[in-house]
Amino acid sequence: MKTTCEADVRMLPGGAVIVLSGEIDGHAADTLTAAYERAVASGDPATVVLDFADVRYINSTGIALIVSVLARARSQRRAVVASGLSDHYREIFDITRLSDFIELFPSLDGAVSRLTEAAG
Amino acid sequence: MTSMTSPSFRQLASFTVRSEPGNERLALAQVAEAVAGEGLSPGRLDRLKTAVAEAAMNAIEHGNRNQPEVPVDVEVTAADGDIVVTISDQGGALEEAGPSAEPDLAAKLAGEQPPRGWGLFLIRHMVDAMDVTTEGTRHTVRLVMRAAGRDGAGGPDRGAAEAEEGGPREDHV
Repeated sequence: MKTTCEADVRMLPGGAVIVLSGEIDGHAADTLTAAYERAVASGDPATVVLDFADVRYINSTGIALIVSVLARARSQRRAVVASGLSDHYREIFDITRLSDFIELFPSLDGAVSRLTEAAG
Repeated sequence: MTSMTSPSFRQLASFTVRSEPGNERLALAQVAEAVAGEGLSPGRLDRLKTAVAEAAMNAIEHGNRNQPEVPVDVEVTAADGDIVVTISDQGGALEEAGPSAEPDLAAKLAGEQPPRGWGLFLIRHMVDAMDVTTEGTRHTVRLVMRAAGRDGAGGPDRGAAEAEEGGPREDHV
């Protein structure tokens, strides 16, 4: 059963946004890695926002991919924040302690507001 | 705990999925359909779906080693307020290098643990109880969700899980 993940990268003052959609599982590795590289290639963003509002499914391999992105960002002294997680996946971010390292926003607008305030 | 001798025992579904990557989503969809109307809150249904998907993925990848013709068997039953999902593969116990460490995000970020290794951890935290049995090559994970449980409640019945013969097979997902 094939799954799909798509990622749209947007640059904003103070950061970059990766808008994810579909499923975050093992098949998402190349998409997520390429999106992160596009996000940091221009502008050297201090913060990378991962937006999950259109993500339908995250499995343990997807959690591992997010851990890898977070580790890479931290090694580059970038912050990672997340928006749009459902209640269920917020719970999983809490259980795995991802929410200790990734600030969560209910919506992308809230995360973007924080970015633009910080940049202003 | 439920028993097949319980007067309220009902089989809600019994099916197989081929051992192909991604087919855990077929399993979770069929389980979700089977338990519709059994009184699980939306939050607890999401928890059960995640647990089923992780157990099925483990069965496909590490039990049946992605051999499509080797089926993963799934059974869904209800009795006495419990919903029980059993997921079986043909991988046996597969005790390889002893128990791995509980996943620790700080250790993973420090490079002291690999990024993966969340599957069994998630299962344990999603359901009210789980146990694992191995008979010959047949390896079965049994997930229990109480229909009337509270959202956010639950967590593993670790005693039951650890008391079973062989203990949980290491997963690497």
